[in-house]
Amino acid sequence: MTRSISVVCLLILGAWQQCAWAHHSFAAEFDLQKPIQLHGKISKMEFMNPHSWIHVEVKNAKGEMEHWEIEGGTPNTLFRKGINQNTVPVGTEVIVDGYQSRDGSNHASGRNLTLTDGSKLFIEGSSTP
Amino acid sequence: MLHKRLMRIALTALAVLLVNAACAQPKSKAKPDLSGIWQAMNTANWELEAHAAEAGPVASLGALLAVPAGIGFVKQGKIPYLPAALARRNSNRAQRWTSDPELKCFMPGVPRANYLPYPFQIIQGKDTMLISYEFADAVRTVYMQDPGPAPASSWMGWNTGHWDNNTLVINVSAQNDQTWLDRSGNYHSDKLEVTERYTLLGNDVLMYEATLTDPEVFAQPWTIRMPLYRHKEDNAQLIEFKCIPFAESALYDAIGK
Repeated sequence: MTRSISVVCLLILGAWQQCAWAHHSFAAEFDLQKPIQLHGKISKMEFMNPHSWIHVEVKNAKGEMEHWEIEGGTPNTLFRKGINQNTVPVGTEVIVDGYQSRDGSNHASGRNLTLTDGSKLFIEGSSTP
Repeated sequence: MLHKRLMRIALTALAVLLVNAACAQPKSKAKPDLSGIWQAMNTANWELEAHAAEAGPVASLGALLAVPAGIGFVKQGKIPYLPAALARRNSNRAQRWTSDPELKCFMPGVPRANYLPYPFQIIQGKDTMLISYEFADAVRTVYMQDPGPAPASSWMGWNTGHWDNNTLVINVSAQNDQTWLDRSGNYHSDKLEVTERYTLLGNDVLMYEATLTDPEVFAQPWTIRMPLYRHKEDNAQLIEFKCIPFAESALYDAIGK
């Protein structure tokens, strides 16, 4: 999958300026001025390259459930930090610190995950500053 | 004098026996070497169940890419789908010329990788085995020492192996749900567990069996069985089949060129 995304990107970049599949810069997609903190439960963990995605169900101020997708590092960088499908399974309650997507959608580049026992895991979204 | 000669003969005989015992490896201890280039020679990748021949997806290509008839490889005859899962298989089959992950050059998963129409190579070590597939550079590392549970699901799964007498047994867990089992829409969920058995029949045939268990899709476990044949050409080798460029149009034309 990694190869497929990066090869396709290189080929499409030549013909098409804005490559949706390009490995983007942090600033192009996420807003450093919009730090957010979400409290919720993990509903899905997608370990993939170039970025893993952590799906979190969050209750908003109105009491409605919102689905958020948090960008993290590659599977190997997450495994090295002790984050895998066994240590952070579906259903885990988390506090996510990150930076919201520029388009205002429920996407964020993740910085840290804090678990109920207080431990903090650095999930390293797109080159977070 | 005779006594001494007899003693010498007896000691020599004893020495020979001891050397033989030390050097000879009883059959059960020396494991068969499965290293080599192998390939299935059958229609399993078209469809695991018995089926008639059928027209292909492109009329102008005529018989070139028509679907051949095939015997079934499922020991139980039919794959024992749960009712809702069978409906999904049928809908997959109806869309197979656009939805088959093989078409997209995605990793094939297990057991499909073993019966694709491309060769693969087994490189046998002591603590690990490597199975390298010509198709899309797919590869599996089989851990012969228990490495613990899979950290995440993946395309080719988490492979652990052990010997059962002269049969190599590989347990495959943690495959993602993105692969199909053949070109006819047979599929599985991410709960699939596969137990494979590889047994040499003579030197050039590997009898391959795989038992599939997936409580979300199948009512009970089921087994496929087929021979894999050793490539005997003088220059037998895997040649790259990096199929992503071939799949680009199919994958991305809808998004824009």
